[in-house]
Amino acid sequence: MRKHTRWGGIVRQISAREPVVDILFVFLSVQVISIIASLLYPTSFRYLSDVNFSVMLKAVSVLGILSLGAGILMISGEFDLSIGSNFALSAIVMAMLTEWGLSAFAAAPVGLVVGILIGLLNGFLALHFEIPSFIATLGTMLFWNGMALFVNGASGQPFLPSSAFTSLMAGRIFGIEAAFLWFVALSIICWFLLHHHKLGNHFFAVGGNHQAAAAIGINSGRVKMLAFAIAGFCAALAAIVATARTGSVLPGQGNGLELQAIAACVIGGLALSGGTGTVLGVFLGASMIYTIQDILLLLRAPGFYLNIFVGILLVVAVILNQMVRKRRR
Amino acid sequence: MPLEPEQIQIPLLEMRKVSKRYGLVQALSDLDFHIMPREVVGLLGDNGAGKSTVIKLMSGVVQIDSGEILAMGQPVQLNSRRDSQALGIETIYQDAALVDTMSITRNIYMGRELTNRLGFMRHSSMASIARTVLESAVHIGGIESTEKLVGDLSGGQKQAVAIARAVYFKRLILLLDEPTSALAVRATESLLDYIRNLKNENISSVLVTHNLYHAYQVCDRFVVMSRGQKIYDVPKRDTTIEELTQHVIRN
Repeated sequence: MRKHTRWGGIVRQISAREPVVDILFVFLSVQVISIIASLLYPTSFRYLSDVNFSVMLKAVSVLGILSLGAGILMISGEFDLSIGSNFALSAIVMAMLTEWGLSAFAAAPVGLVVGILIGLLNGFLALHFEIPSFIATLGTMLFWNGMALFVNGASGQPFLPSSAFTSLMAGRIFGIEAAFLWFVALSIICWFLLHHHKLGNHFFAVGGNHQAAAAIGINSGRVKMLAFAIAGFCAALAAIVATARTGSVLPGQGNGLELQAIAACVIGGLALSGGTGTVLGVFLGASMIYTIQDILLLLRAPGFYLNIFVGILLVVAVILNQMVRKRRR
Repeated sequence: MPLEPEQIQIPLLEMRKVSKRYGLVQALSDLDFHIMPREVVGLLGDNGAGKSTVIKLMSGVVQIDSGEILAMGQPVQLNSRRDSQALGIETIYQDAALVDTMSITRNIYMGRELTNRLGFMRHSSMASIARTVLESAVHIGGIESTEKLVGDLSGGQKQAVAIARAVYFKRLILLLDEPTSALAVRATESLLDYIRNLKNENISSVLVTHNLYHAYQVCDRFVVMSRGQKIYDVPKRDTTIEELTQHVIRN
């Protein structure tokens, strides 16, 4: 009897509870198919090769870190379209400071502060003037994108930190890509914050129904400001990880990342209306996008195929999530 | 015959000569209103009589223009929800102030989470207390798990969760603004029963409603308002439902 109810609970969870279950299922299926395919065609489809894994883990980490911040903000009921511009600008600031002789270990925290300040400014604009954050951050996206060009010019800004910094951010630690370890570490921190800390509960509350949250005494402005700051911090952290790997940054480097991050969140089961979502979902959403990209690269498909597939995945994911929500009613 | 509460106790909350104006509209003028300990007050009147304004003033959402508010005989300022909460006042709205996308447990503890010193939530204590609260306090049935999302509950169940939350956090006064308007008949009966029982837990209530029959079932005293003024204030034993109806309609 006991066993029966426990299984009943699990089945109910799988069939109806969380949209994240769907994406987990799709993600695992794609992994299994890719692994089988690479075992069957080891020379033409090198999915399991060490090189492939290392490229994939490095690539997914940048979008993943960005998406975690965007996701927390989305759960709180707000958007930040400027995280791509923020990404480029905080990287440029860090790279310039390093070029002027500052240690990268000091320049990187400055970059993080720049990211946080840009996030806080977005929050201030959206919340103080009570304008939709979508519009406010569309404005700041253009503004900071222009500022990055103004400060740096259109050329690339080299970032040449000490080798200790490079290996910490972009090397290998215990044989695993450092970038991926940062992504996993941040995911775990976000998981604790969002699902186990009272602040996380407040993010869900203000995103789900900010009047109710305010009525119960939660300071929704402060909670949302914190979410904007986290989104800004994540943009800058992603920029550090990415720039440490490539050794230079272009002013337009972050363009489009904000939309990819939102796509990753939505694929991972977050609702645009806020108040719902999981860190696992964001993690899987970002991983899913890069798994598809990787498979297409291995199949030597032209670059635009990525947009086609991610576009399909995005819309299908939203339709599935919508169906899950309706079925529960 | 028990003593009349007014003779032995001071009001939990009292409004004296309170006025409130919204632009050109005089919502309240020189209103006197009070709530005694362990009392259910029915606040009646037609649309626009000022009932909701009274609730908003008492819950601190809007502020008085003139007059004064006293809690246990002491003058108080109600400038925010926080102020009214500190006095033990909880407002249950028509659309109960709950977050649909969160579980029942998380809603009950929203903003008042049980945490360890670092602020991490104690999930198991929260879940088990939420279960007890719902089981002991709320008889509006059909809630099988406290992990259910509030969005999946019926209107009555939502009200039950909101009230359970208020009871658990030891409120003194519940302000219920049209609580039965979204409820089915059976849920309404349970809710009214429940409000009556709350008196035994030392919780007073103010029930705003259009439905005189509902009010008559549970209230100890009735206050009828019209155009921002109190026109009738009577204990239940001195009136009838017909008389109340007359007062509401006549104005």
